[in-house]
Amino acid sequence: MLAVERLVVKYDELTALRGVSLTVESGALVAMIGSNGAGKTTLLNAVSGLIPTREGTISWEGSLITGLTPDAVCRLGIVQAPEGRKLFAKMTVEENLQMGAYSPGPRARVAESMKRVLELFPRLAERRRQTAESLSGGEQQMLALGRALMATPGLLMLDEPSLGLAPIMAAQIFEIIGDLNRAGTTILLVSQEVLQTLSIARDGYLLENGEITLAGPSERLLADQRVKKSYLGL
Amino acid sequence: MNTVLLVQSLIGGIIMGSVYALLGVGFSLTWGVMRVIHISHAAFGLIAAFVAYGCLQRWGIDPIASLVFMVPLLFCCACFVYRFLILPVTKAREVIVSSMILTFGIAIIVENIMLLIWGPDPRLITTWYTSRVFIVGPFYFQYAPVAGFVMAVAGVGVIHLFLKKTYTGKAVRAAWQQSDAAQLYGVNLTRISMITFGLAVGSAGAGGVGLALLYSFEPHAHNLWLIYLFLVVIVGGVGNVLGTAAAGVLIGIITGLSLAFLPYQWVNPLTFGLLMAVLAVRPHGLFRSEV
Repeated sequence: MLAVERLVVKYDELTALRGVSLTVESGALVAMIGSNGAGKTTLLNAVSGLIPTREGTISWEGSLITGLTPDAVCRLGIVQAPEGRKLFAKMTVEENLQMGAYSPGPRARVAESMKRVLELFPRLAERRRQTAESLSGGEQQMLALGRALMATPGLLMLDEPSLGLAPIMAAQIFEIIGDLNRAGTTILLVSQEVLQTLSIARDGYLLENGEITLAGPSERLLADQRVKKSYLGL
Repeated sequence: MNTVLLVQSLIGGIIMGSVYALLGVGFSLTWGVMRVIHISHAAFGLIAAFVAYGCLQRWGIDPIASLVFMVPLLFCCACFVYRFLILPVTKAREVIVSSMILTFGIAIIVENIMLLIWGPDPRLITTWYTSRVFIVGPFYFQYAPVAGFVMAVAGVGVIHLFLKKTYTGKAVRAAWQQSDAAQLYGVNLTRISMITFGLAVGSAGAGGVGLALLYSFEPHAHNLWLIYLFLVVIVGGVGNVLGTAAAGVLIGIITGLSLAFLPYQWVNPLTFGLLMAVLAVRPHGLFRSEV
């Protein structure tokens, strides 16, 4: 279980997160919605150890992980597929997937994971010798997801996995995320696609201006007047 | 035109260029991966040349054989230099500029240590095979440069395979292409940078010994070597190992041919004139910058 408590993150004097608390239970699919600049990516990067925190704590399976370096966080099984995919552009599809399993634990099972990921994304199998930059947007997103799965995540944090994709492709990605969760992967899904995100997640958080303003089961978030008005355009 | 002279100088140029390429790949990697322009790179190569010379004089150890302990030794030295000097500087805003100034300082210190220990006189490595040649048709080959060439090809090949085939090598490339993502998947940037720097300096040692097999050297020689390093790396594409190798051979051919057919004072103006022409037409070098 991931537990974030009263987390504060500042960029110089700009406060990005003002005391954010959230939990992701083992086996859950939790959604984090909010507009651009609300602090969603900042939260994921703070958990991953990419940016320093000012106050508050982050704990994983009961032990404190605040202040760990990103590679140490990854070794604990907390894996982030970052916004904008951030693939290794000039490396092949296969090499990108191998890099996903760089940590010692996943590396011991790299052949097995590779087989699983290529079965899940047959398109990647067809293109395993091509460079990541030569793939289409949808294929790149599959590669980003596949690379994250190669790390055999205990917690998979996905940041805007449907950004820039055609609606049909985005729907397919959300379906895959739902399937992954049903197969047992714990997921924290960050997205601006409120309707699709909340339709596959059981619980959700609304992040606005660096603060959690709403939390609860997805149905309750979907029924909320503010969410309807600001995020669903109803 | 004399065909034998042409071919002979072509071969000489290729040999020279490949040894510069071996010296250059590490320089290219530290520049590309770590954004550190390592001015003392050639100076470390020169230390290796002096130590190889000393081992040969005192114990009769072959210069190439001495690399067996020299490369690991340089690797360790480089890890210390990285940890205590380079790493703090990489936190600066202008890494390229601060690292250049820092490593320029290291180069001066290293040069003066060499002056203190070995004095200013030029040295020439003379092994049992230095004066030996073998003849193929109308061409003759000296053993020592051929040994340098073989070593250079092997060295560049090993570095290339390391980057393409090993997990650590792939992490080096990943860190250069997308450092955040590399960290998110478990790459420790400090450790990878230390390994990159260590390998770069280690290969500089091999390159330095290679050059010592070709030319005489003295404690200032690394300054001239450094200029050639910039040349091969800029033409070859920063961070591109095979590009650096190709650029080294290309520049070697140009220098070799112009040495044979032009007055000496024209050789460097021609080489560097061509560099400027290359940069004017292709500002990123002849080959793509990539690891």
